[in-house]
Amino acid sequence: MARIIVVTSGKGGVGKTTSSAAIGLGLALKGNKVVLIDFDIGLRNLDLIMGCERRVVYDFVNVINGEATLNQALIKDKRVSSLSILPASQTRDKDALNKENVGKVLEDLGKLYDYIICDSPAGIEAGAMMALYYADEAIVTTNPEVSSVRDSDRILGMLASRSRRAELGLDPIKEHLLLTRYSPKRVEEGEMLSVEDVEDILSIPLLGVIPESQAVLKASNAGEPVILDTESDAGKAYQDVVDRLLGETVDFRFLVAEKKGIFSRMFGG
Amino acid sequence: MADASIEFKGTSFTLSVLHLKTSDLADIRADLVNKVAQAPDFFYLVPIVVNIEKLDCSIDYQAIKTLIEELNFTFVGFTGSVTKEQRKLIRDLGFSFVNTTKVNTSQKAAIVEEVVTAKTEKIVEAPQSPLYTDKVHRGQIRSGQQVYAKDQNLVIIGSVSAGAEVIADGNIHVYGSLRGRAIAGAQGHHKAQIYCQKLEAELVSINGNYWLSESMEQHWGSPVYIHLTDSELTSSKLI
Repeated sequence: MARIIVVTSGKGGVGKTTSSAAIGLGLALKGNKVVLIDFDIGLRNLDLIMGCERRVVYDFVNVINGEATLNQALIKDKRVSSLSILPASQTRDKDALNKENVGKVLEDLGKLYDYIICDSPAGIEAGAMMALYYADEAIVTTNPEVSSVRDSDRILGMLASRSRRAELGLDPIKEHLLLTRYSPKRVEEGEMLSVEDVEDILSIPLLGVIPESQAVLKASNAGEPVILDTESDAGKAYQDVVDRLLGETVDFRFLVAEKKGIFSRMFGG
Repeated sequence: MADASIEFKGTSFTLSVLHLKTSDLADIRADLVNKVAQAPDFFYLVPIVVNIEKLDCSIDYQAIKTLIEELNFTFVGFTGSVTKEQRKLIRDLGFSFVNTTKVNTSQKAAIVEEVVTAKTEKIVEAPQSPLYTDKVHRGQIRSGQQVYAKDQNLVIIGSVSAGAEVIADGNIHVYGSLRGRAIAGAQGHHKAQIYCQKLEAELVSINGNYWLSESMEQHWGSPVYIHLTDSELTSSKLI
């Protein structure tokens, strides 16, 4: 059975799509068969981050409505052949999805892939509920600031009460905390919540901490998921996240501000 | 509207009824003083209706009222199944007469008996809090979630997140941080208390008296319990 993982947050702009793309590609690079689904119907973004926006012919809603087959809609990644993308529709809205049809699509995909990554839209409305309903695991993406943490808390409540697992009384969704845009320097200056603060409030296991990095914006604009930028801190941190998802124990990096050494001071880092 | 400032509504109350078996004021006083001594706080200013149906007509209504008030009860009026004339007499003297629901005479004796025994038992129990069972919730209560323990105490093994709400008719115990809202004694219970391991609440309320975060500075972040003393919220450290 495929692992269905929803990448969710409640709040918008915290890095759900960036994380979905990086984690999906990372899992595929490790030899897993992965499909990324964009649940943000009407605000399609995942195709841009993945760099396949010019190859979208059919989308998720076409498949739901029976206007296209899964094979027609799935876009194979040009970098890794075991990765596919199911893009969202840009012209429809979130009411185009319903539980039965989404369940059917996920069931079909489950036969073909090891991992199904659902990139959730922001908010707590129908679209986000649809993305998390069938999940086995959830990556709760959170920025280290109070409003993002509170929205994540709200989503955690939804995961525990509104998912299929909750409705059927099965084992609860396995929750992971992914802290993005983390700046150790600003934490030290007291401008940002620390990892400990966020863990204390949300009390779910930490999957990864992605440092604030210029590389992320560059990667998004280029359509190359940041995990491919193996020199960047963010790329390395996403690699750690993938390893942890695959069951490895990896120490957390990038949690303390780098002290500038004499050389970097002299040559400007 | 002409009478927007007031509104009349009918509501049922449980009132203590004092059944008089003799018109001898000295005997009544002695027994009453004796009774009050058992639980002075409970009887203080308690509204009392006096049932006079076992007495003959020739009683001193004013003297009874004075006696009742001297012993720090609040006198409400007279009651009992009496003749129309007697009822009119009571009204004419300036006292209110409280009508009871009709019961037939054979039942009446039994009920009167019951009321008297129930009342004697109540004297011992009444000053204590009502006995509530516990509703236990395991796990964190997340933002946007609400848990209500109706006619129960609420025990939470986990934290209450900011934006979450926990409500109980009895006490609230949080084995974790209290960051959301906690409302104890929701249906009116002034002895309700709130316990938590870390106080960081948005709001706490007991029996309608509430505090916002700014009033909790003294014990912010500490393990505390919150209770009412003379209608004022008070927090005390647990450890």
